[in-house]
Amino acid sequence: MAKKILSRRSFLKSAAISAIGIVAAGCQAKVVEKVVKETVIKEVEKVVKETVVVAGTPEVVEKVVKEVVEKEKIVEVAKVSTRQAPMLQEMVKAGELPPLEARLPLEPLVVEPVESVGKYGGTWYRGWRGIKDFHCYGRLVYEPMLRWPRDPADPVQPGLAKSWEWSDGGKALTLHLRKGLKWSDGAPFTVDDIIFWWEAIEIDENISPAPHTEWVVAGEPMKLERVDDTTITLKFAAPNGLAETVGLAFHGNQWPLGFERFGFFAPRHYLEQFHPKYNTGATYELFEEKAFDYNTERPSMMPWVITTWETGADHMLATRNPYYWKVDVEGNQLPYIDEVYFYLVEDNPAINILAIAGKIDMQNRGIEFAQITVYQENAEAGGYHLYLWSRAEASSPTFFPNQSYPDPKYRALMQNLKFRQALSLAIDRDLINEICYLGQAIPRSITVVRDSALFQPDIEDYYAQYDPDAGKTLLDEVGLPVGADGMRTFADGSPLELIVETQASGAELDGIELVAENWRALGLEVTVKTMIRDLYWPRACGNEVMIGTWGTDRGLVPMIDPIYQFPFDERSWMAPSFGIWYKTMGKDGEEPMPELKELMDLYDEYRVTADPDDQLDIAKKIVRLSTERLNVIETVGMMPSLTVVKNNFHNVQEHHTSDWLIMTPGTMDPCHFWME
Amino acid sequence: MLAYVLRRFVVIIPTLIVVSVVTFAIIQLPPGDFFTTLQAEVAETGGGQDKEVIKKLQEVYGLDKPVYVQYLKWVAGFPRLDFGYSLEWSAPVWDVIVSKLAYTVFLGGLSLLFMVVVSIPIGIYSATHQYSVGDHLLSMVGFFGLCLPGFLLALVWMFLGIIILRIDVGGTMSREMVNAPWSMAKLLDYLNHLWPAVVVLGLASTAQLQRITRSNLLDVLGQQHITTARAKGLKERKVISKYAMRMAINPLISVMALEIPKIVGASTLVGIVMMLPTLGPIFLRALRSQDMYLAGTILLFTTLILMLSNLLADIALAWADPRIVYT
Repeated sequence: MAKKILSRRSFLKSAAISAIGIVAAGCQAKVVEKVVKETVIKEVEKVVKETVVVAGTPEVVEKVVKEVVEKEKIVEVAKVSTRQAPMLQEMVKAGELPPLEARLPLEPLVVEPVESVGKYGGTWYRGWRGIKDFHCYGRLVYEPMLRWPRDPADPVQPGLAKSWEWSDGGKALTLHLRKGLKWSDGAPFTVDDIIFWWEAIEIDENISPAPHTEWVVAGEPMKLERVDDTTITLKFAAPNGLAETVGLAFHGNQWPLGFERFGFFAPRHYLEQFHPKYNTGATYELFEEKAFDYNTERPSMMPWVITTWETGADHMLATRNPYYWKVDVEGNQLPYIDEVYFYLVEDNPAINILAIAGKIDMQNRGIEFAQITVYQENAEAGGYHLYLWSRAEASSPTFFPNQSYPDPKYRALMQNLKFRQALSLAIDRDLINEICYLGQAIPRSITVVRDSALFQPDIEDYYAQYDPDAGKTLLDEVGLPVGADGMRTFADGSPLELIVETQASGAELDGIELVAENWRALGLEVTVKTMIRDLYWPRACGNEVMIGTWGTDRGLVPMIDPIYQFPFDERSWMAPSFGIWYKTMGKDGEEPMPELKELMDLYDEYRVTADPDDQLDIAKKIVRLSTERLNVIETVGMMPSLTVVKNNFHNVQEHHTSDWLIMTPGTMDPCHFWME
Repeated sequence: MLAYVLRRFVVIIPTLIVVSVVTFAIIQLPPGDFFTTLQAEVAETGGGQDKEVIKKLQEVYGLDKPVYVQYLKWVAGFPRLDFGYSLEWSAPVWDVIVSKLAYTVFLGGLSLLFMVVVSIPIGIYSATHQYSVGDHLLSMVGFFGLCLPGFLLALVWMFLGIIILRIDVGGTMSREMVNAPWSMAKLLDYLNHLWPAVVVLGLASTAQLQRITRSNLLDVLGQQHITTARAKGLKERKVISKYAMRMAINPLISVMALEIPKIVGASTLVGIVMMLPTLGPIFLRALRSQDMYLAGTILLFTTLILMLSNLLADIALAWADPRIVYT
């Protein structure tokens, strides 16, 4: 099933690139234009004649044409290209930087504009909650091997790799990197940077306890085969269905991506000297420090590299990468915006103060929907407008009845589908929507959002109707008799108390209280325990919580990390013990019942299916089963996500489903955002 | 006198040791550690690390060791000015706090100055014009300052600045100025951001100091030597400044010493609200993320500031009042 992925779009792109080359030559000042033409014609005539006589094979002719292109470049060098930022033009003139032609790869990635071709310049101000809020920066500089598409219905798009192909029945994946890519310090970017990541980071146990699961197929880590500087083949023991999406689009960044500690490449020429394997004088602690994203000396492939950041500073500054490898449709090197300034603030309210004052140019992260009226009142004075994106959150709050709860009586109860159905039917979702989200969310129970390719409308509100009477009937069928005080007990008469634990606050907590009230109306004793996140998280992952709560995000591409679909690992609070069993392949944890195993088997199948269509079918089946079995009990979801955009800020999509898995707003190519 | 000062310095050391033990223990009280907190925090915004990765990191940074080992590791570096490693900032603690410590002391000093310059003249006026309209008016303003906590004033100022006046408030300077070279405009901008912080921090204590000045002076003004001075025909100004104030100033100095730790404390909240580079914001951050060496060191330095200010007050008292004898 070898298949070459070269879509019509990417063909058009390469055609566009060639066109840009010609346009670039033609767009110089008039005098120069003349010179260019003369030189080119002369060379072409001369060389082509020779070739035809001597060799005459098409291959040789192609080579010669390339030579001519290079000659054309040499002429251009005489004049500094205006297809780069003014600040870079100055540096080229001063001889501090090689000319644009020498910095761009032969086939730069052409970014299609959301709105328009932009102008160079400007500082993009953002509010940032400090080092741990890495994604405030990290998602603006989303530069992986393959990219998530702008439209979630499309397949994965080219990134640093311009094309890729499967062979050997899905057991080998060959990546073709763009030729001439350069790190932000000018050093060439090659497949050696990928091999370095694999050998020095991913399989070095001092840094990574184990390689990421998408690279371990059928129990065996992948093998890398270097073909040439820009071509590499990844070989797996079995077909790998996670490589494109999880491996190259989601994890395919420069290691370590803040605190996530995943990636697919790292600057070998810079980091080798700090790695104990290559330099006996180095330590792993030093390596971690130097490889970390906040190290201003570390080369990167991102549009803006962090240039000002020191301990104790009150802001961080990221400045344009002169070697950035993308251009707009007119051939102008990106990014448009000169620098990104991050105010260091303590918390979200401070970000909101800045945004309301009009001091933030564009931001979604930390902007609170609850403040929408304040935002609207100050929009004119602050010079901004608001976009209401949709969150890729299938539901919030979502309840996780723990099917692996230690107490056998409660475990049997949580495992009973009828019991979970009763809990779901008892919830008045419209009321939650009105009270907690100003009616802006959508009552639902499917585990994905509408924009997802896995969405199936017929089960969107499966068991999501408000019907407490049906719920009571179901509880009677489960065998929970109503006692003299009107409260239900176990069949043997022992008291029954549902304990909901949560770290939620604000609207989410209000929702939880409403649901608890709904459940009490069924005759169930419900206690809600709120605690700080640091207490809740380890308890929930440690299988100590009877009914946990959290928002079920990851609703756009859930198969990347399917923790809410079935017990995937300890974070699947519908049954952490079963999740650990799955994660450790039966070594730890407890063996689940067949209906959960069925989902696990399906996902195992998904992992070894390289064909996207077959994969989609399996994924849809997983979503259907997980929804119909109510492994998680959902309430309302897809709430709006407020985005502040200054009126002079362009190329931001108005409609978007925001999700951290696709690195919102990374898929909009922040490198082509521009300011008037 | 010198021997006394030296002795006081020596006493500071055991106190600091006790404080370091107590603070370290308190910081360790909440469950989990830096990496588990990080895990939960990152998870909340979508990300998340593997349990094994966390374990690995805990081993690398020694967080899997018993508490006393971690404590000793921390304390052992003190003589070399090594206060441990801040996990959040991935830098030595000293590098993280040194500029913030300096700014806190600088801001605190200015607030103290503001407090003295404003409260003492007002206090004298209120005392000499007891129950006049001016006295009542100033007392009222003073009470406002006394009952409004600093962070609330800071919030009010931020609100005024951002929503009503639409000027750049918060931080140490406007964003346009941060990377500009020093110039007159930059200095002015800097001062424009400095004075609100000084006023906010100083105001609460100003009110108190003003009331104390007033009551002390009123006490002294009723005494016989003042009556004598007046009877001998001394000018009222001289009576107040040379005889009455000198007697009234002793309690003031003691109170001022007590105000210093209050200012340091208030600067935590005010620093957070006004986005100032005081110790406050990083302290709160360190506590939240369980960056224990950083939090512990900041607490330690706060204690040190408190003890040093007490010592300074005692020395100032001795200088101001020849009747005080140190043994």
